Amino acid sequence: MRRFEYYKPSSLEEAWELKAKIPDSLFIAGGTDVLVSIQNDECRPKALISLRSIPGLAGIEAGDVPRIGALTIIGDILQHPELGRRYPILREAAKSLGSVQIRNVATIGGNLCNASPCADMALPLLVLDAKLRLKTPKETREVPISEFFKGPAETCLSPQEIVTDILLEPPQKNMKTCFMKKGRVKMDLAVASVAVLLEMEGKRCRKARIAAGSVAPTPLRLHKVESVLEDAAISSRTVAKAQQLTEDEIVPITDIRSSEEYRRQITGVLVKRALERALEWSQP
Amino acid sequence: MSKEISFILNGSEVRVAVEGHQRLIDILRGPLGQTGTKEGCGEGECGSCTVIIDGRAVNSCLFPALEAEGKTVITIEGLQETKNELSVIQKSFIEEGAIQCGFCTPGMIMSAKALLDSSPAPSEEEIRDALQGNLCRCTGYVQIIEAVKEAARKLKGKR
Repeated sequence: MRRFEYYKPSSLEEAWELKAKIPDSLFIAGGTDVLVSIQNDECRPKALISLRSIPGLAGIEAGDVPRIGALTIIGDILQHPELGRRYPILREAAKSLGSVQIRNVATIGGNLCNASPCADMALPLLVLDAKLRLKTPKETREVPISEFFKGPAETCLSPQEIVTDILLEPPQKNMKTCFMKKGRVKMDLAVASVAVLLEMEGKRCRKARIAAGSVAPTPLRLHKVESVLEDAAISSRTVAKAQQLTEDEIVPITDIRSSEEYRRQITGVLVKRALERALEWSQP
Repeated sequence: MSKEISFILNGSEVRVAVEGHQRLIDILRGPLGQTGTKEGCGEGECGSCTVIIDGRAVNSCLFPALEAEGKTVITIEGLQETKNELSVIQKSFIEEGAIQCGFCTPGMIMSAKALLDSSPAPSEEEIRDALQGNLCRCTGYVQIIEAVKEAARKLKGKR
């Protein structure tokens, strides 16, 4: 592997100091994406600044003010009973991310900061209207996750900024969710993936959130699809309309994993199936 | 710039000088001479470099060596129960014909061990999930899954 220095600061202050001092340095969490891109010569940092030894960045609070530390590994999200009970969609997405070995190292914050259009954890957080807490030496701000992604591998983070927490709203009682992913094999990156969240009042949908992955430069909220579902009585016709609008709203490309045409079609199908599953019209 | 770190490797403390860019597999196979762990793809797809760190299966090709400091690492060399005797999982792999070329075997066995340590009576689906990150290019997956089932049965008898 190409040579670089590796630092393990034990506080955020120390991490910021190193970042300011060393040009071409990168913050790193679990490293399962960064180390692969260094290996493939896609980036050449002079130094990696590991956030793993900073206390308080990992951990889950599932109580009244739900919070997931950015350095929490995917395996811990998968195994947290209370988080999984309150937000089953987080567990579904975590289960689909990589292999056991990857889930034991990869972190939720790293998955978001890598800003891949196929980031598995981005979709449930988009439909849950999660916020990210970002810190620099000077300020702390909270941004909705829908404003975090700017393009492939691009986020709204400034060079010094670190994602410290993912903040969730307490779950609504009548909230129905589903995550679905289509990959070539189970542990693969997504050809396409979707997350849906519906707040139902009888047959009427009060709030709808639909997100799709691997079909645009960033993980994408599908606002047009949402507006067809919100304040509507949900029937098989509304679901069919949602499927069709999905195909119109996404902007997929052809790449090594799939073609534009297939992605367009499968994402519509995934939205239909995920809605049916969330509404318990069909069984897993 | 190298730094000396120490960690527990297969039950004994080791001290080793590590450079920033080195991965755990580099120091296991290099200065520590533990060549049982294999490097396949080097990017976390194939699982042949799987080792157990603090009880969890991890790809040692994606694990910065400096992060091993203070941790407990088990490799395939750490599995034999008594001197010159293979562990139950290793014997099951041999008996069930789960080894062909053998390159994926150390990683398969470490993933199986991590599974059986945390879940002694796994279902077939749990076994398949636990081995999802381990590729066998000889494609002898059926025998491998049978070997893990057999190991679970034998370990249950031993408890």
